Amino acid sequence: MGKADDVMDICLLAGEIMLKYGAETYRVEETLERIAKAATFKNVHCFATTTGIFLSFEETKEKEDLMQMVRIDDRMQDLNKVTEVNQVSREFVAGELTVKEAHEKLTAISQAPMQFPLWVIHLAAGFAGSGFSYLFGGSWFDLLPAFLAAIVSSLVLVELERHLKVRFAAEFAAAFCGGTTAIGLVYFGLGANLDQIIIGSLMPLVPGVPLTNAVRDLMSGDLLAGVTRGAEALLTSLAIASGIALTISIFL
Amino acid sequence: MQLTIELIITFIATVAFGIIFSVPKRALLIGGAIGMVTWGILQGGLHFEVSPVVSTAIASLSAATTSHFLAKRIRIPVTALAIPGILPLVPGSRAYFTMLSFVEGDYLTGLEFGVQTMLQAGAIASGLVFALAIFSFGKGIGHRYEPNR
Repeated sequence: MGKADDVMDICLLAGEIMLKYGAETYRVEETLERIAKAATFKNVHCFATTTGIFLSFEETKEKEDLMQMVRIDDRMQDLNKVTEVNQVSREFVAGELTVKEAHEKLTAISQAPMQFPLWVIHLAAGFAGSGFSYLFGGSWFDLLPAFLAAIVSSLVLVELERHLKVRFAAEFAAAFCGGTTAIGLVYFGLGANLDQIIIGSLMPLVPGVPLTNAVRDLMSGDLLAGVTRGAEALLTSLAIASGIALTISIFL
Repeated sequence: MQLTIELIITFIATVAFGIIFSVPKRALLIGGAIGMVTWGILQGGLHFEVSPVVSTAIASLSAATTSHFLAKRIRIPVTALAIPGILPLVPGSRAYFTMLSFVEGDYLTGLEFGVQTMLQAGAIASGLVFALAIFSFGKGIGHRYEPNR
């Protein structure tokens, strides 16, 4: 009796972490089914969408089925946690971990802080922004303003999401502030190509994880999850575009 | 010389993007290298006057194939490599000019840029899909008929 509940717990915990931090749907379903099968349960079925997971399996032969679901509200991007859960499930399936050890490891993963501290992420956003502003046709003088503008947009994005918890509004505000910073810097004589600097300041906001996952989900037959992820990516891009459109029509 | 500078900048920018997406540490530099190769292939295609959409598709295919291959080797999810790998192809510049033209009321130019953006995004997706098709022979879901029954 106890074992089935424990296995259900680790399955749903693993699935919740993976889906929350940006794994593809097929990976979540496959991992959960593998864990449950490795724990010698039969008739395992898993259905995952972008916002929830259903899992059911037979506890004893032909009676007492177990079925649970979890709802996932947050969707963040931390591919490191996905990799770690993947590793735990691989070890569990290979029989190197007991149910209890797996549960401890998964709890540790879900409570672990981010792999990189926030200031490193902001700095990385700056480097990414200035790099792409150069690649999209900017000059050497555009590197510094694009760096600053990208850091501003990354800062606004993270801080707004932390306090307001409104989806898409954070991207909108971040694009607006990044664009305004870029226009201001160029106005005061720092940097030459305004367009490239603005593009650079927007690059850290690109919804890379939902976009790639949408393609992947659609191709592996998870039509529901694929379409919803695609809609999420589209809405994020629209929020960014309208934010930058607002700043351009006001200040330019 | 110009290309060398661009490749180095792509490497730095791609690694920085890896940090933004919190890619595992052992995959950071590999992702950067894939991004660098992707940019090199894209620029090579443009240099030999292949159309931008086709060059993007080829670059995306090579990036996705390399990431599938390497992800199996070092045992991490493919996304952790594929996302930094295809990022240099993102049509950020065209998307921006689409929006700029619409804001300025120049709808025809906006539509032109918009179509280019969509095509380039589609090219990236098609590259991902082809690589996926190569690496999922024998698994995945069937379609229409059941010839093996």
